[in-house]
Amino acid sequence: MKAWVPFAGVGVLAALAGTSLWLASIPAPPPQPKAEAVEAAPAAVMAAKFTDLDGNSRVLGQLSGKVIVVNFWATWCTPCLEEMPGFARLQARWESRGVRFVGLANDDPVKVKTFGEKLAINYPLWTGDAAVMDLSRRLGNRIGVLPHTVLIDGDGKVIESRIGVYAEDKLEARLAEILARGS
Amino acid sequence: MRRFLGFAFALACLAFPAMAASPDDPLEADQAFRPSVRLISETAGPPGRHGIDVEFQIADGYYLYRDRMRFEVLPATLPIGPPEFPRGLEIEDPFLGKSVIFRQKAKIHLPFTASSVKPGQYRVRITAQGCAENRLCYAPFVQELPLNIPPGYRTTDSLSRPLPPGLQR
Repeated sequence: MKAWVPFAGVGVLAALAGTSLWLASIPAPPPQPKAEAVEAAPAAVMAAKFTDLDGNSRVLGQLSGKVIVVNFWATWCTPCLEEMPGFARLQARWESRGVRFVGLANDDPVKVKTFGEKLAINYPLWTGDAAVMDLSRRLGNRIGVLPHTVLIDGDGKVIESRIGVYAEDKLEARLAEILARGS
Repeated sequence: MRRFLGFAFALACLAFPAMAASPDDPLEADQAFRPSVRLISETAGPPGRHGIDVEFQIADGYYLYRDRMRFEVLPATLPIGPPEFPRGLEIEDPFLGKSVIFRQKAKIHLPFTASSVKPGQYRVRITAQGCAENRLCYAPFVQELPLNIPPGYRTTDSLSRPLPPGLQR
């Protein structure tokens, strides 16, 4: 073996290790679980039926907006309750630009109403039976956790599906990006 | 040459962590909360104490709510008494008030009277609900475990783990 070969090998490995350590030193973004593939067809998403807090039947297709933020939540889910006030602030800031939030829960409507008032939620909160979590699963929430937030366009096409808390600043940046490109 | 290989190995070890997979994806409920059941007979438990112990192994960073657990034995020919829970940890939730949770491990005893037991194949159906700390919560989920009560069960005890998902219910 030529004498320089081991030194070249050491050099390459040192470069690899250095790059690795440099990459490791860059602050990582907050952990964000990934949602799985979306199975629901846009038309089925827009036609899914829920009940509003006055007992009226509702479908997502009634929410005319450029972007609809569908938030699956429950009154027993503390991370959900923590993120919802941020969604209410975003609804107030982005409503004029065509963003519509809606909360969907497979939960007791009385409890939903109580928490909605307590958290000053300014967007519709709808309830439903087990079909709520079924839709959540078909929109990428394979393991059945909450919160689950799905961004869809006005035609029901899924733009993003995310499980876990969606931080207010991150969601705001995402909405700005989506609206800037005209989705 | 040997010295070179040793040095290369050390450098490779340094490089490896940056390539490791992220642990941040949430676990499936059956991975985060792993129950097993054990039949408690006179030989395995205190004298006169009969029943089923359900023991949960709970992954780091996850917890189960005590008051959202439900237990059934199927078929219902084996009546069980109210579950006996360990102490647990009391937490104050800003939204939900006080709750008792279990982290790491929890053993719940489901009592029955010996005279009510008929040998046979049973299933213990558990409904539970839990969360990953500060991140997300699981919708109520059901886990089923087989339980065999053999003839003369008082001289035996058995341990079983969840049925594969396809065999549940």
